Amino acid sequence: MIGYIARKLIELFLTLLVVSLIIFVVIRIIPGDPAQIILGVNADPESLGLLRHKLGLDKPLSVQYGNWLAGLFRFDFGESVSYHRPVSMLILSRLSVTLPLTFFAVFLALFLALPLGIFAATRRNKGADLGVIALSQIGMSIPAFWLGILMLMLFSVKFNLLPAGGFTEWAVNPLGAIKSLILPVLTLGLIQSAALTRMTRASALDVLTANYIRMARSKGLDERMVLFKHVLSNSLVSIVTLVGLQVGQMLAGAVVIETVFHLPGLGRMLILAVQQRDLQLVQGIVLVLVGAIIIINFLVDVTYSALDPRIRLG
Amino acid sequence: MSKFHFKVFGLVLAILLFSIQMIGVADGSDPVHGGTLKVALPAELPALDPTTNTAAVIDRVFYNNVYQGLVRIDRRGEIVPCLASSWEISENGKLYTFHLKTGVSFHDGSDFTSADVKYSLERVSDPTTAVPHPEYYSNIEKITTPTVDVVEIRLAESSSTFLFNLARGDSVILPKGVEDISTRPVGTGPFHFDNWKEGSSVSLVRFKDYYDPDLPYLDKIIFEFMADVNTQITALRSGDIDAIAYLNSPENALTLQDDENLKVLEGVTTWEVILAMNNSLQPFSNPLVRKAINYAIDRSEIIEGVTFGFGKPIGSLMSPTNPNYIDLTWVYPHRPTKARSLLEQAGYPEGFSATLTLPSSYALSLRSGKIIAQQLKSVGIDLQIKKIGWGQWLQKVFANSEYELTIIGHAEAFDISIYANPDYYFQYDNPEFAEIVKKAEKEIDETRRRAYYAIAQWILAEDAPSAFLFSAPSLPAMKHCVKNWWSDYPIPVVDVTRVWKAK
Repeated sequence: MIGYIARKLIELFLTLLVVSLIIFVVIRIIPGDPAQIILGVNADPESLGLLRHKLGLDKPLSVQYGNWLAGLFRFDFGESVSYHRPVSMLILSRLSVTLPLTFFAVFLALFLALPLGIFAATRRNKGADLGVIALSQIGMSIPAFWLGILMLMLFSVKFNLLPAGGFTEWAVNPLGAIKSLILPVLTLGLIQSAALTRMTRASALDVLTANYIRMARSKGLDERMVLFKHVLSNSLVSIVTLVGLQVGQMLAGAVVIETVFHLPGLGRMLILAVQQRDLQLVQGIVLVLVGAIIIINFLVDVTYSALDPRIRLG
Repeated sequence: MSKFHFKVFGLVLAILLFSIQMIGVADGSDPVHGGTLKVALPAELPALDPTTNTAAVIDRVFYNNVYQGLVRIDRRGEIVPCLASSWEISENGKLYTFHLKTGVSFHDGSDFTSADVKYSLERVSDPTTAVPHPEYYSNIEKITTPTVDVVEIRLAESSSTFLFNLARGDSVILPKGVEDISTRPVGTGPFHFDNWKEGSSVSLVRFKDYYDPDLPYLDKIIFEFMADVNTQITALRSGDIDAIAYLNSPENALTLQDDENLKVLEGVTTWEVILAMNNSLQPFSNPLVRKAINYAIDRSEIIEGVTFGFGKPIGSLMSPTNPNYIDLTWVYPHRPTKARSLLEQAGYPEGFSATLTLPSSYALSLRSGKIIAQQLKSVGIDLQIKKIGWGQWLQKVFANSEYELTIIGHAEAFDISIYANPDYYFQYDNPEFAEIVKKAEKEIDETRRRAYYAIAQWILAEDAPSAFLFSAPSLPAMKHCVKNWWSDYPIPVVDVTRVWKAK
């Protein structure tokens, strides 16, 4: 196990190195000159040249990449051109929104999807099953931004229970921070639970027809024990795979939710950074996201073997 | 029409319009002091320094709220005193003497003096500062400070645009030797910078030592960055915010107008939407073709379809917010038959086909493009619409003039002189026009200058290097308790100095 983890860590490091090079190159290939964007379309050419020099954009690309990489080893992601603050600090402050949002949404999605999925599987093709399928179909078809707006209309405009977006910082008022996350988490969690419910139902159906379930039932085991001990634990492998994918997707992909609820999350900062061609910031965010996804994959791999000893770590 | 006729015509128009400029700001109630105002801004603040970054949202937040210049643009688009209480211009137009307000202090407590003016203007003139538009200041020969409250600026050549340039957000006055305004803004305005929560909001707080003790009315203003228009509207309806600085989507203005708790102001902006033609390419090099296109276009249908009736038609490249504006929309009424006969005269009895290149990220361009393609089809001009990304548009259309037709909004205030540059993407080379603009830019006598600009507008309208479509609407939306908001945006600002919240 330790050898496996060590090997994975080396792999992870090499992947990140390759990824850093790809990010660096891609950002410089897309059209748009940072100096031009800061100074505008009618800017004076001499000023443009000067600003490029100030930003270090006139150095050879290899030198620019080397500098960035050297900084990374000291956990120095460089400084943002627009915010004039270290990239690492900016990312950390945005993670205080994005991480709880992602975490609670996944938690909510699992909380809804696991019981619903198993419940539907046990009542296959009956009314309850069809109801769950219909609900999850709706959930998968509704665009997240639309559900978000409906939530706002209902809970903020009509009942005036929760703030219509915005984020109160944790340090200022933890209760306020939680309040501002309720609607986004609800929206994101509901949407994510739809696909997860389907996946749970499908894997539970597979398991329910297996011989060991018939065995468990025939030896008189309580039905609840059958469902949670045998069915759930044996369905988990595919569910964990999907959750892993969803978390990765949500870290950057929650940008729609962040826009609707105007939360200062990582996704929105990434979009502004790309628009402003704030190269250091874009590089930093993308690297952190890719890093997170690689780590999640690693965790999913490790979880597999714990869930199902038949899956050997090789 | 001969050159002489142009001038006489323009002069008459200018004099006629000269007298109907004043727009009163009447609001029955008396101002109320105190309160916090929350305003939604559709764009996010990318940086804090208005002098080295052109993002319009920086000016919207800081112009005259936090930073002030010697002069400023007021809600009517006029240049009015600000940190300078008065000024004289020498006969030859080359020496500007500014008398500064006294008793003014910066937000850091230091006194405002002529040394700060000299420092600030020399800072933006210094090439190493890398400002977007060094040409605003390149005419400055020397700045002297005879006393603490007098500044003399000597210009190499007389210039009528110099004062306007000093009124821009680029030319605000900073305290001498200021350390880093990119992280901590320090100005002389009625509000001082409080806190910037990157990605979510920026707050400004009433400056207690402001030189006008009666101002500002508000205690605090918070600008919330909300990119999504539905989010803005929900927040306004739920009471989380008090105002939306400007609605990007006119269709939503219609629904908000129906809400009895809210009001929408219908003003104009400097955003002029035009159908640009490449004047160096056949058939657009032929004035008859350009005129035919202008006759074929129905501006009121475009405004109805694109901005839902908000916005004003324009006949030249001058925003109705500009004091020099004259109405020339009558020059090309919608006359499809006239358009067809002009095309015939030009040698295109069967019409022709052309490509209309549109930047895909601008809804106003795309919508206008569809309607114009339809309108031109009825006179035999067949347009193929090609959508490209903004970066590509800048490269291909703007920088390299590789296009036939395009639709774009020109947002810069007072930008008629772009038609005097033959290398600009219009490829419009008219020495007569260039000469008039040059004269206008040098003329310091106001009446004569307005006359020159009237002639310049007339030449553009008549010669039609582009088809001028409309000036985009301002559309700020707010609760009824928010009073005295600017309805027009003659420059991109959200000046809340005199805004108050009724109880």
